[in-house]
Amino acid sequence: MALTPDPDGRLACGRDAAAVWDRAVAGEPADAHERGCPHCTAAAADARGLGALVQRLAQEDPEPPPSVLDRVMVAVRTELRPHDVLTLPSPHGPARLSRAAAAAVLRHTVDAMAGVRARSCRIEQADDTRSGDPGHAVDVRITVTARFGVDLASVTARVRQMVAAAGEQALGVPVRRVDIEVVDVFGDHW
Amino acid sequence: MARAVAVAASPSASGAEVGSGVSAVPDELDEQTLVVRAQEGDARAFEQLARRHQDALYRLAVRVMGDRAEAEDALQEALLDAWRRIGRFRGESAFSTWMYRIVTNRCLGMLRKRRPVPVEEVDAAPAPAQDSPERAAERDAGMAALHRALAALPDDLRVCWVLREVEGQGYAEIAQITGATEDAVRGRIHRARTRLAEAMRSWR
Repeated sequence: MALTPDPDGRLACGRDAAAVWDRAVAGEPADAHERGCPHCTAAAADARGLGALVQRLAQEDPEPPPSVLDRVMVAVRTELRPHDVLTLPSPHGPARLSRAAAAAVLRHTVDAMAGVRARSCRIEQADDTRSGDPGHAVDVRITVTARFGVDLASVTARVRQMVAAAGEQALGVPVRRVDIEVVDVFGDHW
Repeated sequence: MARAVAVAASPSASGAEVGSGVSAVPDELDEQTLVVRAQEGDARAFEQLARRHQDALYRLAVRVMGDRAEAEDALQEALLDAWRRIGRFRGESAFSTWMYRIVTNRCLGMLRKRRPVPVEEVDAAPAPAQDSPERAAERDAGMAALHRALAALPDDLRVCWVLREVEGQGYAEIAQITGATEDAVRGRIHRARTRLAEAMRSWR
């Protein structure tokens, strides 16, 4: 056949084979060279010949059975880093809380507020300043996205207040410091 | 948000651990937020990401493997790979490109280990008939022939062809997914197209 592509995808006439093919499939008319060139004509004819079948193949939409993601999530949850924990103050011996779970609680607190969504939430347990031992108080660094148009000063003040309250009430750890960074804004139709 | 979220029904959404009051992540969260949360160990955010991308990833795997059961295995392993490596995703490419790359690598790895399968046995996955029985039969036979021709392509050609023609990826994205140069990708796609066209000519 006239189609003898070389490895970098040029037709024998030097034209980019992929471009000739894509344009033929898109139904664009051949240019002056292509009309007179046997290589381009053959490539375009092949493209049009395969086009309908390829389109049908692309429209077949096999969906994965739900069991695949279910199995993945079972494995994911068993792989959660169990050693990455915060120590909670408790009169009856130490209690530990997964750092990822604690971050999820704080993010959820933020998500529940109007006009703001939590993105990153990092929780560090600070050492006790007097003894140097690990203390219970935590520092929280949180990044948020805010709805376009909200009053950023008041919303960050409320985020700080809510995160501190959630840390102390829902998690039971004193919150020493909350750093908030607004990293993006979103709109209803963005 | 009144809209129900699919993951709210997952078994771990309730339970005795601290944080049991945490419901599913809002389903309109942007992708970057979900990626950051997943990178920080938030399994629910990862689940949301996986749910958003799994149909496209499965389509790719089905077309590359030519077999649904193997495609399910490839998708499952690839999603686990993604969870384990998501901390290393730096956003140099789109997240979808990164996921396509992981699935592609899984598929190629499975294909390398696979015993050669006679082309006649490849699952042709006939589509449901839509028009007259004769015409539908003819079209389905054409689809079956295309599936066979696709299965007969070398793996690297088939991967590039599927990413282009089925997934609609650009040449630059396919280069990122496969780790080949853009020129090599263009060459592979053209060789795949030419071989498929030849196979279909002899079938007609």
